[in-house]
Amino acid sequence: MVQKGLKKLTAVDYIAKIGKWMYIIFFLFMTFAPIIWLVISSFKTNFEFETQPFSFPAVWQFQNYQNALQMAGLPRLFLNSTIIASCAMIVNLGVSAMGAFAISREKFKFNETILNIILAGVLVPIIALMVPYFKIVSSLGVYDTLIGLIITYAAMNLPVSVYLVHGFMGSIPIELEEAAVIDGCSFTQRFTKVVFPLTKPGLVTAGTLVFIYCWNEFTYAMLLTSSEASRTLQLGIRFFRSQFVVDYTSMLAAIVITMIPTIFVYVFLHDRIISGMTAGAVKG
Amino acid sequence: MRNKNWKQILLFLLPVLTLFVVYFVYPLGFVFVTSLTKWNGIGSMEFIGLDNYIDLFGDATFRLSLRNNILWALIRAFIHIPMAAGMAMILARKPLGWKTTRTIIFLPNVISQVALAMMWLAIYNAEFGILNSLLEGIGLSHLAQNWLGNTTTALPAVIVQQVFYIGYFMIVILASRMGISDTYYEAAEIDGANILQQELHITIPMLRGILITTMTLALAYGMRHFESTYLMTNGGPAHSTSVLGILLFRDMGALKYGEANAIGSILIIFGGVTIAIIRWLFSRNDSASDAAQ
Repeated sequence: MVQKGLKKLTAVDYIAKIGKWMYIIFFLFMTFAPIIWLVISSFKTNFEFETQPFSFPAVWQFQNYQNALQMAGLPRLFLNSTIIASCAMIVNLGVSAMGAFAISREKFKFNETILNIILAGVLVPIIALMVPYFKIVSSLGVYDTLIGLIITYAAMNLPVSVYLVHGFMGSIPIELEEAAVIDGCSFTQRFTKVVFPLTKPGLVTAGTLVFIYCWNEFTYAMLLTSSEASRTLQLGIRFFRSQFVVDYTSMLAAIVITMIPTIFVYVFLHDRIISGMTAGAVKG
Repeated sequence: MRNKNWKQILLFLLPVLTLFVVYFVYPLGFVFVTSLTKWNGIGSMEFIGLDNYIDLFGDATFRLSLRNNILWALIRAFIHIPMAAGMAMILARKPLGWKTTRTIIFLPNVISQVALAMMWLAIYNAEFGILNSLLEGIGLSHLAQNWLGNTTTALPAVIVQQVFYIGYFMIVILASRMGISDTYYEAAEIDGANILQQELHITIPMLRGILITTMTLALAYGMRHFESTYLMTNGGPAHSTSVLGILLFRDMGALKYGEANAIGSILIIFGGVTIAIIRWLFSRNDSASDAAQ
């Protein structure tokens, strides 16, 4: 960046500059414009939506959101998704943290092997396992229950979480634990009192990714449940189309409601989400 | 030497190993073994060797779906990844608003495929979709059509819905690009290299590793492709957008569990073989070029 102000811009630099901004604007438009359009449309009357698709609503119809909440059993779906995503996240983090602790803080014969096998789990295409997952969940007697989805989601996310948590634990100095051992800490106390609290930032990152994954997951929510009582939000909005035959804009409002929690999390934790996803991908 | 804490270690490893065996190891074995049987999921399995595979490759719908998967894989690796890399290269030079741009472009990755699919169903809709309204607005109404209901436009439409969501790979590549020292670019600038030359001769060679990794992942993801297409067209019209995941799901619904698992095996093997081949190819190339130096 030396002498940038002094250097005369060449033709190539100008073309690069124009190209760069066109490129940025194109992708911003493709990603953001449909979402903005969706949100604005969710405040319109159905007549406005069909006749003036690109205008702002004459009167913002907050009524659409009330309709959405009443018509589709949305509160129940919302509750189910919250329970499933939160519990799956907690189970997943507990299990990964314990495993990662044993692998990263103790030396034993197979710790590298175990770690590598678990990490290789990311290479497994989960959608190829529809039949076995259905069979496992059925034979455990948890088909069509929230618990079935919680266990499945917690397990599906293990490779990524173990990777992130293990990596984070590796950066905690072992001397802290040695000092704790001298102070009389047992193996379990080293985990609960020393390593676990220090791993919190890593757990928050992994937990956020697991939560977003579970909140948005569709395929296995469809495959492993059948009744309305254990339906998740994502599955619910699939059925909105038949429920909202006449009231399309209320359906759009319902879709916007389902997007709010993850966008909310993203707004507050986007640096963590981005760093977690970056780390998670590179291990491949 | 036996670790004196072995009992506790075992106790701490037990949950993760149990879940991993139940949800990864056992299912993989299960899929491969049952793919060699005729099985309706309830009754007994009948061993039929490779018949499921032979039947599948003889089926035109399967071959079409496999072709679509390969198309997805190639488009992801050779169009999607270069677009993501391009954006990463631009944003790494920190133009005005680069952080906001990064945040917005990554945003679709935290929204569910269901919500995105329903949004695009409204965009592509034949009667009130905004794509048709847009075309009519700019005087191209003869192009307006039922985008997802037409065998020639459905596949391009479902691909377009996904291919411009470059956020995930963009941040992965961007992280590596940020790791390259500025001194290389400063030196190149002093030598009179313009921006394009700098990207071509510094960035791309330095990012070779991450570009290969992301392309490999993208190829593997192409084989796994399922959700967005299932949600928008369910493989139709006339199987034109079908992929292996959709056939697998359909076979399962028809209680053809043996055949469903044969499709699963093909999916797993194709993905694994792709990754192995690329690894082998590039590790061989790298050692060859190391030897040449």
